[in-house]
Amino acid sequence: MSRSAALCAATICGLTFVAVHGQSTTSPAALPDWSGAWVMEGPTVFDGATVQPKNGRAGDAGVREFPPYNDEWEALYRKHIELVKQGTFPDPISTCGTPHGFPRLMNVPDVYEFAITPEKVFVVAENGPNILRIYTDGRKHPAAEDLWPTYNGASVGHWEGDTLVFTTISMKGFSGKDVIVDRTGLVLSDASRVTTRMRKLDAMTLEAQMVVEDPKALKAPWRVSKRYRKQPPQTWGWDYACAENNRNPISAGGKTLTLGPDGKPIDKVVD
Amino acid sequence: MKSIWLAALLAIVGSVCGPSSVLAHHSGAMFDREKVVELKGTVKELQWSNPHIWIQLVSRENGTDKEWSLEGGSPNTLSRQGWRSTTFKPGDEVTVRFNPMKDGTSAGAFIGARFSDGKTIGRWD
Repeated sequence: MSRSAALCAATICGLTFVAVHGQSTTSPAALPDWSGAWVMEGPTVFDGATVQPKNGRAGDAGVREFPPYNDEWEALYRKHIELVKQGTFPDPISTCGTPHGFPRLMNVPDVYEFAITPEKVFVVAENGPNILRIYTDGRKHPAAEDLWPTYNGASVGHWEGDTLVFTTISMKGFSGKDVIVDRTGLVLSDASRVTTRMRKLDAMTLEAQMVVEDPKALKAPWRVSKRYRKQPPQTWGWDYACAENNRNPISAGGKTLTLGPDGKPIDKVVD
Repeated sequence: MKSIWLAALLAIVGSVCGPSSVLAHHSGAMFDREKVVELKGTVKELQWSNPHIWIQLVSRENGTDKEWSLEGGSPNTLSRQGWRSTTFKPGDEVTVRFNPMKDGTSAGAFIGARFSDGKTIGRWD
């Protein structure tokens, strides 16, 4: 075997193990270091590149992004934007009962931590809390008959050098109440599919480039980029027990209420 | 109660750092982010709990005690910004700034506070 061929073989063996059960896993030595705690850059607007007004924040009246919605879903988004203006667009997570859902999980405040193993990657978001499992052991997505819509869907991926590439399907999407993408009123359908390429740009910056496809809601693929900033060494992540003292439940009319210390609404008008 | 409409600078600061950035788990539509109220009172209780902390503050108005509920960020985030579960103790005399409820009820989104010894926490520009 020539020197170059030996080197090539060693590289292939170093990057990929084929284990006894036919699983394909990446060598621990070849996995990148995403240790520490990270915080998303910018406000919780999913597509900061198209938000209007510039630097607008999700939840403020009149703030919107420009996904390539078809007419039907653009009309739905505009309806949500009006509800935001009226203060009656309910954020489902205000109930403290459900996960944020994917891709919103990549768009939350507080710290992120990443656990990278040869078989899978865990994205642990303190806010929520939310956990995303990305299987990198060579498995495929389950067959359609073995899937059902879930908040975070099903993610499988692989490593291309130091870049994690994964595809997420089978999310619940928006069905009038379940999952939103951000508080501007942005939503996707249960047919959405997101391909994410995630890598470290430098020691302090992680980047996730997402391509969102949704044949029900979008006319074209929607490209969104998010960045995450590394926090000081030994930053702690904590419990986020949302139901511990939730003084902001949602009324039947979709209004976010404010409870007094006695647990009763102090709002002058509840609905 | 001393209610002040601050000038453009504070409005801009409020728009950048106001409730939407600290109220991570629900809409902040109930708060008037264009308005900043400054209020002096006595801390009754700090609820150091998720998803948001609450400061229960009692102010004296026209000879009558009035209790206010001031909502802040999560204890997780605040602890990383130097807050402690003992930052506000019952009996502390403080001056607070907050974005009030739009409907005029006695609650708001916490911005910052100044203690009687001059120390401040949160945004106190």
